[in-house]
Amino acid sequence: MVKKQLFVIVVLSLCVGLFSKAYAFRLGKNGPRVYGFIETDFGVKFDHDEDTKHTHYNLAEQKLQLKTRLFPENPAFLYDWNAELNIKAELTLDEYFDTTLDKTFREFSLSVSPASFMDVKLGKQIFTWGTGDYLFINDLFPKDYVSFFIGRNDEYLKKPSYGTKASIYLKNSNIDLVYLPFVESNTVPNGTRLSFYDVFQQGIVGASSSFSVHRPDRTLGNAEYAARWYGNVSGYEWAFYFYDGFYKSPRGFYDEMNKVVFYPRLSVYGASLRGAIFRGIGSVEFGYYDSRKDRSGTNRLIPNDRVKFLVGYEKDLGHDFSIGVQHLFEQMLNYNNYYDARMPWDIIYDRYYHLSTLRLTKLFKNQTVRTGLFVFYSETDRDTYWRPYVSWDVTDNFNVTVGANLIWGKRDTSEFGQMEQDKNVYLRMRWSF
Amino acid sequence: MRKPVLLGALFVAGGIASVACAMDATEVMKKSNIQNYYSGNDGRAKVEMSITDSQGRQRKRIFDILRKNLEKGGEQRFYVYFKEPTDVEGMVYMVWKHPGKDDDRWLYMPALDLVKRIAASDKRSSFVGSDFVYEDVSGRSPDEDTHEIQDEDEDFYIIKSTPKDPKNVEFSYFVSYISKENFLPMKIEYYNKEEVLSRIIETMDVKEIQGHPTIVDYRAKNLETGSETLMDFTEVKYDIGLPDDIFTERYLRRPPRKWLD
Repeated sequence: MVKKQLFVIVVLSLCVGLFSKAYAFRLGKNGPRVYGFIETDFGVKFDHDEDTKHTHYNLAEQKLQLKTRLFPENPAFLYDWNAELNIKAELTLDEYFDTTLDKTFREFSLSVSPASFMDVKLGKQIFTWGTGDYLFINDLFPKDYVSFFIGRNDEYLKKPSYGTKASIYLKNSNIDLVYLPFVESNTVPNGTRLSFYDVFQQGIVGASSSFSVHRPDRTLGNAEYAARWYGNVSGYEWAFYFYDGFYKSPRGFYDEMNKVVFYPRLSVYGASLRGAIFRGIGSVEFGYYDSRKDRSGTNRLIPNDRVKFLVGYEKDLGHDFSIGVQHLFEQMLNYNNYYDARMPWDIIYDRYYHLSTLRLTKLFKNQTVRTGLFVFYSETDRDTYWRPYVSWDVTDNFNVTVGANLIWGKRDTSEFGQMEQDKNVYLRMRWSF
Repeated sequence: MRKPVLLGALFVAGGIASVACAMDATEVMKKSNIQNYYSGNDGRAKVEMSITDSQGRQRKRIFDILRKNLEKGGEQRFYVYFKEPTDVEGMVYMVWKHPGKDDDRWLYMPALDLVKRIAASDKRSSFVGSDFVYEDVSGRSPDEDTHEIQDEDEDFYIIKSTPKDPKNVEFSYFVSYISKENFLPMKIEYYNKEEVLSRIIETMDVKEIQGHPTIVDYRAKNLETGSETLMDFTEVKYDIGLPDDIFTERYLRRPPRKWLD
């Protein structure tokens, strides 16, 4: 049944994509331009993973995205403040969950400039800062790792949050202040689409995973705050970061007996520097993770303080071929206290964690064919995650992307190793207008 | 007794004359560079690129460009706001041009709110998939090549330019036809490493805008791949008073409507 629906949609999309001409929608005769796309995604698993909801696939959906920009002129102060309303709405027909229809706004924000030296953006929006490539040290804004592993477009790695960003522009530096009143956590594998290591069942589980998550109440006291102070000195971008909120993934045990996990309090202090070096771009970023409820490290139910250090380098080798490498180093602080407090059934984490990444990108045919590979490899856990893809702009409005998420690892308890069963290949077709 | 002195003088004069000609070629190219890339203190334009490949398939790239000179013939800033195709709509490409060394480049991707720093020491790669390379859009410094006048007629200087650093470029030399009337290049022929004509850029239309002769229509033909790109400039304006801070992260995230519309 589902297979037939999918086949029809795939064929329709192909026809629409190949034979359509580009045209633009407008809201009303001379209204604002509405952009968007219709996309169909399909992801097939390599191994039959009987643990998850569907054995053979983990992605089957059609999506309609519409975006527009409005410039309200009434009341008059909005016009003086150069107001801009950004709206991005999505309708998804998700066959994975028995053809449910999901409606969401990825963006619904108002940007204003109340003074020449200040911009304010409020509403539902994506926040991003930091220098890493798929690695985030000082970007504690919510991420959707499920989308990342199943082959959705890169855009979906970042989750929108409700919040306000005030940006103040000074002579030699700028300050961003972000206030997020409604805590939004990362979307992490929970067994339905992707199997993972369940600490309670002490093994790889999928849909049979049954622990629950205690979320912070959405009260004023549980708001998140983030700030960045940054500048540019002759092309060298420096920044200092601050975050106050919670761990974004449920890394704490709230009630071990009853299998409840939670998001402990977290503050992060960091800095970064990025600029041209050795005819490429180099970057360094540092973050100190202050696990506020367990600063001594003696509480085994809450993660210890950590320091994270990221170094990156990217170079263009000519002929549309570029390469990027990164190395992430993490150290758990108060390690001896953690080690002494362990129970026999606890996973033993290493004091030090090393992760390297490689990105290769090559473009062909007047840059209409993009090929790439991103590799994560942890020297500590000896696990690896490969993300190859080929993306072809058949026309300016029709794109076909094929890629894979390939994961290998010896240990079931490691970051990537636990996802070995989740290897998949995906196909995305997008018609843009 | 006089003859050798006279002959000597003639040789010296000839020597001076030939040295003067070599200087003229560089002077012409310097003047052309200023005329083509540095007119006014700043400027803006709406650009439409039509790329046609060897099989007749067409692609379009539409963007707005803002430019500011920090010094004539030297440092410049560019701000490029993409409008089409849809999948690049809202993306902004910003360049701090440093003649003689690598430019600083950024790309803003609105869907991710990501300010990406672009590592691109290759100025000869295609600009947005067209037959124009990055340096065609931002300008190639005359100091990068040695120039000599190959030929001259009443309308044109025909100048051959050879790169000082051949490793960094895809051509062995190029020949420019510089108009004597306005010092704009009317045609540029690129010869590849085998010294075969591989790419031609032709000026299709020149308009005088605010006293500056401006190329408003270019055609680039890639003879090796058979593809062709037309680049059209409309609504060109100079000296609009662009502030320096347009070329900062603030305006990557929030395109300055006042200057783009």
